[in-house]
Amino acid sequence: MPFVKRDVPAPSTAGGQPEDGRASHEDNLAAHIAALGSPDTEARWNAARALGGRADAVPALAAALGVESAARVREAIMTALMRVGDEASVMALLPYLRSQDAAERGASIEALQALPEAIVPFMAPLLADGDSDVRLLATELARNMPAKSATRMLCRLLEHEQHPNVCAAAIDVLAEVGTRDAVPALQACAERFAATPFLPFAVSIAIARISDTDR
Amino acid sequence: MSGSEAHGSHVVRVTPDDVRRLCEFLYRRTGMLFDDNKRYYIDRRLVERIVATRSDSFQAYFAILRSDADHEIEHLINTFTVNETYFNREEHQLRCMTSDLLGNVIRKKRAGEPIRIWSIPCSTGEEPYSIAVWLMENWSLVDTYNIEIVGSDIDTRALAAAAKGVYGERSLMRLSRDVVGRYFQPVAGGGHQIDPGLRESIQFTRANLIDPTDMARYRGFDIVFCRNVLIYFDDSSRRIAAENLYDCLGAGGYICLGHSETMSRISPLFRVCRFSDAIVYQRPEADHDGR
Repeated sequence: MPFVKRDVPAPSTAGGQPEDGRASHEDNLAAHIAALGSPDTEARWNAARALGGRADAVPALAAALGVESAARVREAIMTALMRVGDEASVMALLPYLRSQDAAERGASIEALQALPEAIVPFMAPLLADGDSDVRLLATELARNMPAKSATRMLCRLLEHEQHPNVCAAAIDVLAEVGTRDAVPALQACAERFAATPFLPFAVSIAIARISDTDR
Repeated sequence: MSGSEAHGSHVVRVTPDDVRRLCEFLYRRTGMLFDDNKRYYIDRRLVERIVATRSDSFQAYFAILRSDADHEIEHLINTFTVNETYFNREEHQLRCMTSDLLGNVIRKKRAGEPIRIWSIPCSTGEEPYSIAVWLMENWSLVDTYNIEIVGSDIDTRALAAAAKGVYGERSLMRLSRDVVGRYFQPVAGGGHQIDPGLRESIQFTRANLIDPTDMARYRGFDIVFCRNVLIYFDDSSRRIAAENLYDCLGAGGYICLGHSETMSRISPLFRVCRFSDAIVYQRPEADHDGR
């Protein structure tokens, strides 16, 4: 047989996990945080991966994300923040909704969508943001939320929103996650944008899909 | 009306709008894409799941699905996918391995160096054994290198069955009689057991794809087969699994996913490689950006 067999190492607690006590935990934390500033991409990548889920590393991860130039390390830092999932990590991710880099915007949206409970306190200001691109992306964050709260937030947006693309994004999300409570807001939106044919059309599809849902 | 089925005292009905809503959710969540000519196929399975979950309407079922109560997403996906595994499943990827991937892998290797191949999840062993048999039958350089095949799964019962290597006729349906004769022996009571030499050649281990510490034990693979598992993960687990898999591959290593999965929807870490037999994903040889 041309095949060889080699033993796989036994599981260890290495990789940034606490081993035997607080001192070791803090040493690891300090070492990994220091490595976030290494000139070696692999070292920064490993540090970001090791710090995933550690709330005490959020300030360092947030700072590193601000200066990191390697795409894969940025990706790993966002995943690390997502694994923490607290208010501080959400605040570290939110600025990237305004990034000029589409990949960065996409990565932050994905990471924030994975934290539907943690982003709730931030949704109202995001949906009222002065930048229509941010409002549009914020509608997407509602997609993974419970139907009732997503409906409530997006209906409030539709009542005032002037930008047709933001309304279209909200309607698209409501078509999937909305309840029939959204029907009046959707109808009002269609009337307001009667001169923009794609919006009444999108509204008709959303209403057809959600009008039989429970409130 | 799109579909219906008796459910207790009333009939469950799904409308075309319900089905579209489901399809859009499924596409976004899993990447599985169903067009209109699969409508009847979807309707039947959707109604089955509505009945199985004792939901009294599509809307009630959809709420269960969105919240993934009782792993309903997994149950629904299972109705749409072939869950049974068998030898040479998705044979085009095995062809791709010998026609394209290994040629690129050995450019960096000398004769006698190891080539490392990983099957995760390997379930009851059909995939890693298929890889071994396929290499024996289809790669002329099989004796030139030291080939290491590892099969891993989170389920230790599946791993025990893999190590035993006994399979029924259905598992062997894609293999020719000649191949079965060369690599299997009939066992008393039915079934065929894979050649003891092959059984001894493959390392079976337990591994959890979304545990970075567990996955740190696995490094330097040239080719990873990771088929039909990421589809079951939620977005955050998929991101973590993709980063773990990236670390498990050597630079330039390849990952083969299931036919309905696309890594580009999951992670930007990998390069898409289109070969004549399959689309696979590659860990880049080097970073193109940095400080």
